[in-house]
Amino acid sequence: MSKPGGPLLPILLLLGMLGMLFPFIWMVVGSVSPRWNAGWFNPFGESASWGNYADLFAAMPFGRFLVNSAVVAAVVTLGNIALCFPIGYALARYRFKGRRALYGSAALVLMVPQYVLVVPMFVLIHQLGWYDTLWAITIPVLVSPLGILLVKGAVSSVPIEIEEAARMDGAGPWRIVYRIVLPICRPTLAVLAVQVFWLTWNAFLFPFILTGENARTMPVALAMFRGYQQVDLPHLFAAATLATLPVVAVFVIFQRQIIAGITAGAVKG
Amino acid sequence: MDSMDRKRSSSEASPWLMTMPWVVTLLVFWAYPLGYALALGFAKYDIFSRTWQWVGFANFRAVLTNSDFWSALGHTAVFTAGTVPATTVLSLLLALALNRRMWGRSVFRAGYFAPTLTATVVTALVFIHLYGQGGYLFRLAQFTGLPLPSQGFLLSESTALVSVMLMDVWVSIGYYALLFLAGLQAVPQELVEDAQMHGANSWQRFWAITWPYLRPTMLYAIVINLIKSLQIFTEIFVMTQGGPVGSTTTSVYHVYTAAFERFDLGYASAAAYLLFVIIALVSVIQFRLLQFGRGAEE
Repeated sequence: MSKPGGPLLPILLLLGMLGMLFPFIWMVVGSVSPRWNAGWFNPFGESASWGNYADLFAAMPFGRFLVNSAVVAAVVTLGNIALCFPIGYALARYRFKGRRALYGSAALVLMVPQYVLVVPMFVLIHQLGWYDTLWAITIPVLVSPLGILLVKGAVSSVPIEIEEAARMDGAGPWRIVYRIVLPICRPTLAVLAVQVFWLTWNAFLFPFILTGENARTMPVALAMFRGYQQVDLPHLFAAATLATLPVVAVFVIFQRQIIAGITAGAVKG
Repeated sequence: MDSMDRKRSSSEASPWLMTMPWVVTLLVFWAYPLGYALALGFAKYDIFSRTWQWVGFANFRAVLTNSDFWSALGHTAVFTAGTVPATTVLSLLLALALNRRMWGRSVFRAGYFAPTLTATVVTALVFIHLYGQGGYLFRLAQFTGLPLPSQGFLLSESTALVSVMLMDVWVSIGYYALLFLAGLQAVPQELVEDAQMHGANSWQRFWAITWPYLRPTMLYAIVINLIKSLQIFTEIFVMTQGGPVGSTTTSVYHVYTAAFERFDLGYASAAAYLLFVIIALVSVIQFRLLQFGRGAEE
């Protein structure tokens, strides 16, 4: 942190921030406005209409889309922590045949662009009979190469003496992994959790291609919602606000971890 | 099994057991689809009757001779070349500003980060209306007195792509600023204060002290931003559907329409693989260039 500046910088930053936030303020205000005139309204002139939100749930199964999004984001986040940890641990600690190949494969597929997989995944999910189920958008992303690389790096920097002491006390390999080493790597896992939650909650391409009406998530529902002719802006913005609230809630609650998370990733990267 | 055997087998079996989820994921959800896509690239596959017909290099030839493929690649290049440098410079400036001690610092950090947090679909929906005829941004632009497209920014061939690019920069600044802010924490304060005492101005201090510490973060930020920009899809799908007149059709959108509007899975796979190769080459070249500049101090 460098020296304190004058009042000019904070004022500039404040103005800039209001500019950054304006679209969202507009979205929330618009979501409760009863009338709309070509995208131009006076938020102070009319009384707020919370009925827009109730209309949403009456018109479309928005409750189900929200639950789908929440279930997928939660399962994928927890799954990544529970599954990537032993993988990264094994790659860091054991010398076994195929270790280098496995580590290399994680680094390699991290560079594969998503769209190369779009067509074959569409076919594969149909072959598995998973189309329009939550399996389709959960199982393939339950283990992420990013998670493996992050955990491997974190475990490598944990002193091995800690594990040897635990082993002397008779702890088995799984107990060592989950009870001894995992808690030490909590900062890295926070990074991973935040990254995975955020990516999963906001994911569009694969949920869009692999689901229909039943397993649809919030972002896809929103994009589809736009296509309905009768949808007016207040209702669209109410839906958009609903899709945003959970992420904002997570951010407000875990702000410290999120910033620490992104920070840690960047310094390592 | 005696006790000696059990002990050995439990300690030797674990790495295999531990890595099993990755082996399965790798084979089923990466290797198989990648192989399948490559095979599709050499085939005509009928999605309804599920029949294959090998066609050799016909799909690749079709892609390379399709002017739409090349113009989509051009749009992607414009998008990337425009947004990556703009985002990098602006977010670095923001990070340097936020790194100063002042009131409201944590509020600013959260505020600037908020757009990044929001789903791309949500942001895109809001911006459709900000950019539209009568939207706030459109009305704001009217004050400049410049000739504006009467249909709104997204419905005009000349402004649609630039509008999506501006939104992308706006969304990304907070995220990369946070990355740079993290990188700045690695700069030793004693060095900065020392330089300050010896009369170095802030420009000199930045290049001599801050920059070398910031470079790894910079490399990381540029590489991930580049990869992300070359794959731009969601914004295009929600905001413009590739139009007007194909002026915002990016590479991934081109692949998408081939696969899911024309159901030409062979063409789509061939195009996806060609893009993959192109992007891999760009990444390698970029990495070499950035690594080369680094050699001096190490």
